[in-house]
Amino acid sequence: MAKLWTVIKREFLERVRNKWFIVVTIFGPVFFGVIMVLPAYLSMRGMRDAKVSDIRIIDATGVGLGDRVATRLNGGPMGDAAATQVVVVAPNEVAAAESLATKDVMAKLRRGYLVLDSLTLQQQKASYAGRNASSLNEMESIQSALRSALLGQRLEREGLDPRRVEALTRLKVQMSSERITDKGRGGSGIGSAIFGFLIAFLLYMMIVLYGQAILRGVLEEKTTRVAEVIVSSVSTDVLLAGKVIGVGAVGLLQQAIWLGSAVALYQFREPIFLKLGMPAMPNLPLPQVPPMLIVALVLFFILGYGLYAALFAAVGAMVSSQEDANQAAQPVVMLLVFSIIFAQPVMINPSSRLAEIVSWVPFSAPVIMPMRMSAIQIPWYELAATLTGVALTCALSVWLSARIYRVGLLMYGKRPSLRELARWIRQA
Amino acid sequence: MTDSALALRGITKRFAEHVAVRELSLDVPRGAVYGLLGPNGAGKTTTIRMILNVIAPDAGTITVLGTPNTAPGLLDRLGYLPEERGLYKKMQVRRLLRFLAELKGVDARTADRRIDEWLDRLALRGPEKDWGSAKVDELSRGMQQKVQFIGTLLHDPELIILDEPFSGLDPINAQALKDTVVELKRRGKTVIFSTHLMDNAERLCDSVCIIAHGDKVLDGAVAAVKSAHQRRNVALSLEGAPSSEVTAVLQDPALIWKMDDNNRYFELEMSASGDPQHLLRRLIGAGAQVQRFELIQPSLHQIFLDRVGAAGVEEGMSGHG
Repeated sequence: MAKLWTVIKREFLERVRNKWFIVVTIFGPVFFGVIMVLPAYLSMRGMRDAKVSDIRIIDATGVGLGDRVATRLNGGPMGDAAATQVVVVAPNEVAAAESLATKDVMAKLRRGYLVLDSLTLQQQKASYAGRNASSLNEMESIQSALRSALLGQRLEREGLDPRRVEALTRLKVQMSSERITDKGRGGSGIGSAIFGFLIAFLLYMMIVLYGQAILRGVLEEKTTRVAEVIVSSVSTDVLLAGKVIGVGAVGLLQQAIWLGSAVALYQFREPIFLKLGMPAMPNLPLPQVPPMLIVALVLFFILGYGLYAALFAAVGAMVSSQEDANQAAQPVVMLLVFSIIFAQPVMINPSSRLAEIVSWVPFSAPVIMPMRMSAIQIPWYELAATLTGVALTCALSVWLSARIYRVGLLMYGKRPSLRELARWIRQA
Repeated sequence: MTDSALALRGITKRFAEHVAVRELSLDVPRGAVYGLLGPNGAGKTTTIRMILNVIAPDAGTITVLGTPNTAPGLLDRLGYLPEERGLYKKMQVRRLLRFLAELKGVDARTADRRIDEWLDRLALRGPEKDWGSAKVDELSRGMQQKVQFIGTLLHDPELIILDEPFSGLDPINAQALKDTVVELKRRGKTVIFSTHLMDNAERLCDSVCIIAHGDKVLDGAVAAVKSAHQRRNVALSLEGAPSSEVTAVLQDPALIWKMDDNNRYFELEMSASGDPQHLLRRLIGAGAQVQRFELIQPSLHQIFLDRVGAAGVEEGMSGHG
């Protein structure tokens, strides 16, 4: 046991002391911070630069519809209606006004122009031309301003009081969305889907990065022949266990630092946003994470990591060079890629049959099941069965890998064929 | 048997394609310097790995320091220097040595003290430069070999096994290694080393075992081995060129089986019926001016060539590595 601890300690300390580990671990939270702050910052910049109102309205309706649209584009009567230029023309002057407006848009004096005429009043038809014509958001705001202006104009024509019309047509609708699945209402929509996807991706990254680290570590011991010295002091099983546990501890430490700083950033978002001269975001959609999910996450990480770490170690013990290692690791990497390929379909529909199957297969379960869990309610027995499956597969992979490792660590030269590999497993 | 540092009884190891070690038995007395000699691919490294319990023999028993070699804690009393040297390149020398010592059950404080002693002793630490705080890959090859050697001895093992310790050593390190082996013996430690360099073995070893193609060719104390292989070899020097009468005597097949003729210096091997005393009388009778006539012992190198060459031919094996 003392020797296992010695191996774990070396694996852990040598990796944590590595400057790349320090860079990546510090860079992680910075990255989180940028991800969190950047959208808010950009959307604020976007609001400030909103040029939807920076257009010209060529109004040939003769009823002042252009002014109504301009008012609405600029946020109501209190807004700065001057941002939008309204040109009132006679119906026969529209063509001339349009060609003039086109020149102005080309000269970047305006973003675009909107033409309103008698057809707009009778058949709700209008035309727009401008640099931002392909921006769905901006077209949507212009359309909605026009729709509301037209509605107001009609209500007034029907004899309603203009002020009442103003109050009645200025509606702002807020809609929350919630998923309903075969299993009933569950999850809080897009927020937890993104959260689940992030979790899956994080688990995947951790397993890939630290699994590969194990592979490189074993290969290093083999190619430098340090392994010969070490196995004259401890058994290969202790060496393998120490390596897997030590590297896993580094992974957990890194995740803890990342998650901890992400939570801290979230807690202190208001002072940070204020520093950047932005109003604090009112409601960042951070889903509530139940403790059960956290427990399951940790279990899936440990088991999934153990499963793949053992496989990567076996690959490292099988080969004698980096080139061979890349090839021999491919089947293991494929198993991992297979699970992340299904992440997106599962995120879109976490209760489909596909999602269920992928989350039960032990090789993809550690990545997919936590993602499904954060999106929908999984019955406890399904969870228990999946965890048991992953645990058994993990045990089997550790057992097989330990045997391959025992024989392979001191074998050099050609990569073993599958038949030779089977013999290694038998004879170990 | 209890005074054996190592006792092998009929150990056999088969790999898929060949038998690496066949029915090998040997005893290494405590406090001896023991040479495991053989050509490349003879099974030396396989034997050592079985002694260290890294691989298990298919048959036979291995007793190390009086206990079966699978006994827990036994590895802490053994020191092993593998043939292929290597260290963690990115690790600091002192941390690496502490790690190796801790793997052998030495506590950190004792390890640190011994590390400093050894670094001083092998000139890896001086007033201007302490290589102990450098990374392994900043060291020259010779210095890395010293570090590895320190790692083998830090836990003060009772039995030290060195696999081809002289391969790749520069002359200065080779001398340091020999000095250390002699000192270990003086302190009552047992040292086993494998080598195919017979000169070193002949000078350092008390006893040897020669193996080839997995079979033991011979073993025993060096002096006993050499006298057992005394083939009545004669070194002969003459004053002046040999006369025709003298030449006739030297070419008599009843007396001499093999002759290495260097004009005035001859190495002769007596034939089965030949008697060296009779030869001397005949030479003097023929009028030879004898400067030197000496019965000489064959070198370990010669014995090795004779026996291993013969064994290889007898078995007609290809001798793969």
